[in-house]
Amino acid sequence: METKAVRHQGPWVRRCLFDGFAFAYLIGFTILEGLQMDSEALLPHLSQIVWVGLGLSVVGALLSAGLAQRQVRTLGELIYAPLHIRSQHKAVTSFWASFAGIETLLVVAATVVAGWQLTEISFIRLLEADSFFHAMRLFSELAKPDWGILPKAILKIVETIYIAFMATAISVPIAFLLSFFMARNMVGQSKLGYALYTGLRIVFNVMRSVEPILWAIIFSIWVSFGPFAGMLALMIHSLASLSRQFSEIIEGVEDGPIEGIQSTGAGKLQTIWFAVVPQIVLPFISFTIFRWDINVRMATILGFVGGGGIGTMLIEYQGQAQWPQVGTVIVVIAAVVWVMDTFSAHVRDSLK
Amino acid sequence: MDEPILSVRNLEKVYPNGTRALKGISFDVRRGEFLVVIGLSGSGKSTLLRCLNRLHDPTQGEVIFRPQGQSPVEVVGLPAAEIRGLRQKIGMVFQHFNIIQRHSVLNNVLYGALGRTSSLASLLGQFSHEDKQRAQKFLDLVGIGDKAHARASQLSGGQQQRVAIARSLTQSPEVLLADEPVASLDPATCHTVMEYLRKVNQELGLTIVCNLHFLSLVREYATRVIALKNGELVFEGDPKEIDEAWFTKIYGEGARQVHIN
Repeated sequence: METKAVRHQGPWVRRCLFDGFAFAYLIGFTILEGLQMDSEALLPHLSQIVWVGLGLSVVGALLSAGLAQRQVRTLGELIYAPLHIRSQHKAVTSFWASFAGIETLLVVAATVVAGWQLTEISFIRLLEADSFFHAMRLFSELAKPDWGILPKAILKIVETIYIAFMATAISVPIAFLLSFFMARNMVGQSKLGYALYTGLRIVFNVMRSVEPILWAIIFSIWVSFGPFAGMLALMIHSLASLSRQFSEIIEGVEDGPIEGIQSTGAGKLQTIWFAVVPQIVLPFISFTIFRWDINVRMATILGFVGGGGIGTMLIEYQGQAQWPQVGTVIVVIAAVVWVMDTFSAHVRDSLK
Repeated sequence: MDEPILSVRNLEKVYPNGTRALKGISFDVRRGEFLVVIGLSGSGKSTLLRCLNRLHDPTQGEVIFRPQGQSPVEVVGLPAAEIRGLRQKIGMVFQHFNIIQRHSVLNNVLYGALGRTSSLASLLGQFSHEDKQRAQKFLDLVGIGDKAHARASQLSGGQQQRVAIARSLTQSPEVLLADEPVASLDPATCHTVMEYLRKVNQELGLTIVCNLHFLSLVREYATRVIALKNGELVFEGDPKEIDEAWFTKIYGEGARQVHIN
């Protein structure tokens, strides 16, 4: 009995904490709405606000604990309590009429109102005559592309496609090799395997969480502006993303064929080659094509910060407000993205 | 009498989660017999088979394997480097066939030769001429020689299991372990696969250790039976000896026999 109670304390504490935060969020929201203060005005009082928030959270958590005694289901319980505790309660009312339902409604409503104010949504500004006609003029300029720069734009988009291709081509073999060390079912139980697994995961997670545009800025300083910097940025990002996706595919392979090949007396390399690789090769190709497709789209953006390709052209014309030329570039990008998208979808379909 | 090909003594297997799958099992496998292991799901049958070829590592006990014309092998303590050699001598077929669906039938059968082919040669697809002939011969033996170049996934379940049998024969094993070989097949196909196992047993002289569910199949094909219950050996003897009383003891009260024809 005692061990059981201990085992269930974790979810129970999390339940109360969640409800506590929800309570503090709702009360804090009501107070701030009542005071009509914007975020700038709140800045000097931040530490007081945090303390009040924590105090309110504790009050809310205690309230949640009280409700738990009375067998009231809160949102925190629905999220954190394990199924077997939850099933002890008998649901007699519909969700929206229950305590948890009302709690959900209140939290969502408060978030929508706060979000509306923070993003400064304003229909007046959207429909203001002056700025509206400014935008319309820009549109009409864009809609009259200057086809004189088409050859140059095509040359540049070809550069973009090759930047994306090289980034993919270089990252694929490395990702392929490393993904086996990032799959839990391949590294085994040894300490070395676990260290390799954890190390690679951490490094690639960090690499992946840095946006390619930041990598492009770093590399444009390192190897100076141009396609090489853009390619390196995309390559780093592709390597991190692909090895993660590849390793997840490997973790999903069936054990049966592995046992089957092992039972013949095959070695480790043979087992991977004959039992694992046939199961992963199609999804690997599919993800690779998709990555090339994504890289083409990303490469256009990387040009903005000196990554070469058509993005550089776009940012130059935009800087000089040459809208008809910008229009041409947009048409070329759209056409290529559409073709790549369709092509990659077809290839991925054929691999299913 | 000949020495047993496999001697199992006090075999124990405890899984990392604490489950005691095998609680000290002792029995012999005689050379050339068709030994069937029966018992409920979870009684430890699959674990037992996998301890014999070290797909699983036994926790304690002794398994002695006596290959023809070679010195006996202590299976339980066998160093990792020698496990490959052991597995070549002990073939295995599985409930879900465990063949490579995307590869051709002939290639699947050739993979039985992986144990004696170097890593580099096998990765380049370079199998010896004898192995290729042997693979085709065993495909003919199980009656699907004409399917050699089909993709394994195009075959029916029964045919896929025959590919798996041919693959294990290519190893030139002395023992064939069969883990529920017909459990995922329809009743009509069951007998075809069981007939081929009997053929392999009688014509090639392979010793067979086979897990089975259906008692009617046991009575027809087994030359000897052992029964497991909760990881313990509860019966050892002739298939004809399993009467109602034994049946209840092995499968528990309320169990009823299912017959397949």
